[in-house]
Amino acid sequence: MSDETKKIKVTIDNITIDVDPGTTILNAARRIGGDVTPPAMCYYSKLEGSGGKCRTCLVEVAAGSTADPRPMPKLVASCRTGVMDGMVVKNITSDKVTDARNGVVEFLLLNHPLDCPICDQAGECHLQDLGYDHGKEGTRYQFARRTFKKEDIGPYIQLHMTRCILCYRCTYVADQITNKRVHGIVDRGDHAAISTYISKAIDNDFSGNMIDVCPVGALTDKTFRFKNRVWFTKPVDAHRSCTTPGCCGKATLWLRGEEVFRVTARKDEWGEVQSYDGKPGWICNTCRFDTKATASWTIEGLTTISRHSVIGANKYKTLEMPKETIKEVMHGVEPKLLMDIHSVSGVNNPDIHLSDIDRPAHSSDFKK
Amino acid sequence: MGRKLLLEKAHVEGIRHYDVYRREGGYRSVEKALKMQPTDIVEEVKKSGLRGRGGAGFPTGMKWSFLAKPDGVPRYLVCNADESEPGTFKDRYLMEFIPHILIEGMIVASYALGSNVSYIYIRGEYDWITDILEVAIAEAKQNGWLGKNILGSGFDCEMYVQRGAGAYICGEETALLESLEGKRGNPRIKPPFPAIKGLWDCPTVVNNVETLAAVVPIINEGSEAYAKIGIGKSTGTKLISACGNINKPGIYEIDMTISVEEFIYSDEYCGGIPNGKKLKACIPGGSSVPILPANLLLTTAKGEKRLMNYEGLSDGGFATGSMMGSGGFIVLDEDQCIVKHTYTLARFYRHESCGQCSPCREGTGWMEKILQRIEIGKGTMSDIDLLWDIQRKIEGNTICPLGDAAAWPVAAAIRHFRDEFEWHINNPEKCLTENYGLMHYADPIHVPA
Repeated sequence: MSDETKKIKVTIDNITIDVDPGTTILNAARRIGGDVTPPAMCYYSKLEGSGGKCRTCLVEVAAGSTADPRPMPKLVASCRTGVMDGMVVKNITSDKVTDARNGVVEFLLLNHPLDCPICDQAGECHLQDLGYDHGKEGTRYQFARRTFKKEDIGPYIQLHMTRCILCYRCTYVADQITNKRVHGIVDRGDHAAISTYISKAIDNDFSGNMIDVCPVGALTDKTFRFKNRVWFTKPVDAHRSCTTPGCCGKATLWLRGEEVFRVTARKDEWGEVQSYDGKPGWICNTCRFDTKATASWTIEGLTTISRHSVIGANKYKTLEMPKETIKEVMHGVEPKLLMDIHSVSGVNNPDIHLSDIDRPAHSSDFKK
Repeated sequence: MGRKLLLEKAHVEGIRHYDVYRREGGYRSVEKALKMQPTDIVEEVKKSGLRGRGGAGFPTGMKWSFLAKPDGVPRYLVCNADESEPGTFKDRYLMEFIPHILIEGMIVASYALGSNVSYIYIRGEYDWITDILEVAIAEAKQNGWLGKNILGSGFDCEMYVQRGAGAYICGEETALLESLEGKRGNPRIKPPFPAIKGLWDCPTVVNNVETLAAVVPIINEGSEAYAKIGIGKSTGTKLISACGNINKPGIYEIDMTISVEEFIYSDEYCGGIPNGKKLKACIPGGSSVPILPANLLLTTAKGEKRLMNYEGLSDGGFATGSMMGSGGFIVLDEDQCIVKHTYTLARFYRHESCGQCSPCREGTGWMEKILQRIEIGKGTMSDIDLLWDIQRKIEGNTICPLGDAAAWPVAAAIRHFRDEFEWHINNPEKCLTENYGLMHYADPIHVPA
């Protein structure tokens, strides 16, 4: 067997998997999937050099390798630590990890404005997911939250620095995908901020991808701002032949009725843009911001959304719905709330528009 | 009187200049080293037991032997002169008074490591020392100790001084390298370590000023003679910058066999506490290391005299000990308030956190706010436990040691001085005008039989 094809064994939360040498712990865990995968707020597999900063993906290495089975003294960032043959990793099976992750979530939310009700990212926000999965219910912070002056960074992208968690992903996008980076991190510590160089507008063919990589609502699409909530829109996969070099032309259109409210790149189950033939499917600003007529696109069908969204139909696909029991525990009363909206909502039934219903939607609305 | 190796000639008139330095025996080690094999020099440094003087105390020879040596890739030596730890000012003294000893040590180290270009990354605030070093480098070059084919050995070496812009974080070796490359001074994620991928992705060794200067006596007198000074794994001499409530603040070169008590009270060193006050606490190794109350500082938990060396100061771990650190010895007398002191340190770390990773960025600011609240008498009892929990969640979970450095002083203050925090909370009026004082902090410790 040649060296290239030799696989190494790594055990994560008692599940053993064979991976290629050089794989990081996080990517090995993503191969297993499910709860075994540590959350990642700053790591982005398509952006070189990203990761290591948010500390949400910390894991415990209980045994370094077969050759050197000593445990690692500190928790390590799984996104930046390579696996070794025979490595034993503890993620959710380690109390140390859950405790540290709890702390990281608390730190990340410390100065976060929690303005989810008016935030365009709500519903597909990684910080919401993280807080829900790994946070505690309250905060112990009793001081004024840090705020920033509003800054205009151009016609397409809205910057809300108060929501930023400083993952640095957008700077990597600007470095690696656009032809020139004009923004970066200014200042340091808890007053560090994303900003452009002397209030310059970010104007670049691929700058819109910064919105896609932003895990929170710090960078949002100005053409979509306050137009709709993501869970009311219906995502469909579509493509067009784009002439911009480097643009894959494959996108997700977010529709309400026949109107295109928003165009984004297609995301995979980890909330990252999908790859085509090994190349990340970034889209250009023309596709994203300026092509909002349904006629300009060839619609392929409904988007399969698997994780980072409340509209994620497949997230609930395997969930057993306690259909009969609900009635029982409610003493025979029909539930008023729609418990199974995600499996039957407008996402899967394109003929029914949520916007046509003038009261809380009920499953019976979709069974007509 | 201990032996002096680095500061022996520091007060010779005009030693800052090449002529005097050379007349006093300077650059002998370069002459000797260039006749040796580079690997033999690394071996000598290994045998000398020299440990990094910047704070972590990692064996220098070991660090040098880890340096990767791929073909066709340059290697670099970088001197970390970004001395910004509160309480530490030893490197400043060394560079200001005898800059040539650093340059001499760096030439030897460069030869041993095969570095043809070496850098001194100096703290931005040390602007006048930058000038002193540049003059010294020019003098060395003029006299053939730098440049092409040094002493006909075929070894080339250039040396440059780079000024930082005043960020504490740039004293962390990978942040220093980023800054040296002209980037934002954010620490890198390790591994890879600088010995594999350092400056411009080439193998790099980063050493403290004092460490590199100590190479000179090691080569001159041989590793065995050097290793004989000191006790155990603390060999050679160490510069201590003493400050705070002592009669004679300043730089002292100690041989690491003396006790902490002797260091504070003897006239040869700090000369005791002024105004007849009593010792309350001390930070023995620069602001980042745990603070110790007087009783634990002078004697270990076993009841033995605590020695001024790496093992002595860390005896008992963080529960009852501290660390040698960078040698910034800060003494606090009975009039000092530990809460205020801890708040000051927390403010420093909040200001200096680079903001790259979340626990340090958010946690340092949070700790500062809580400590400020306690200091002005508006704290609650649960704040103490909260502080403890915050520091616990920062420590060990950050990219670089700044998170630990911010967490340790807070942890140690709560560990040893919890009653003072409680007094602040219970006496909100008094705590702004009065002081908790010495109380029991100097009482002899009970040693279980």
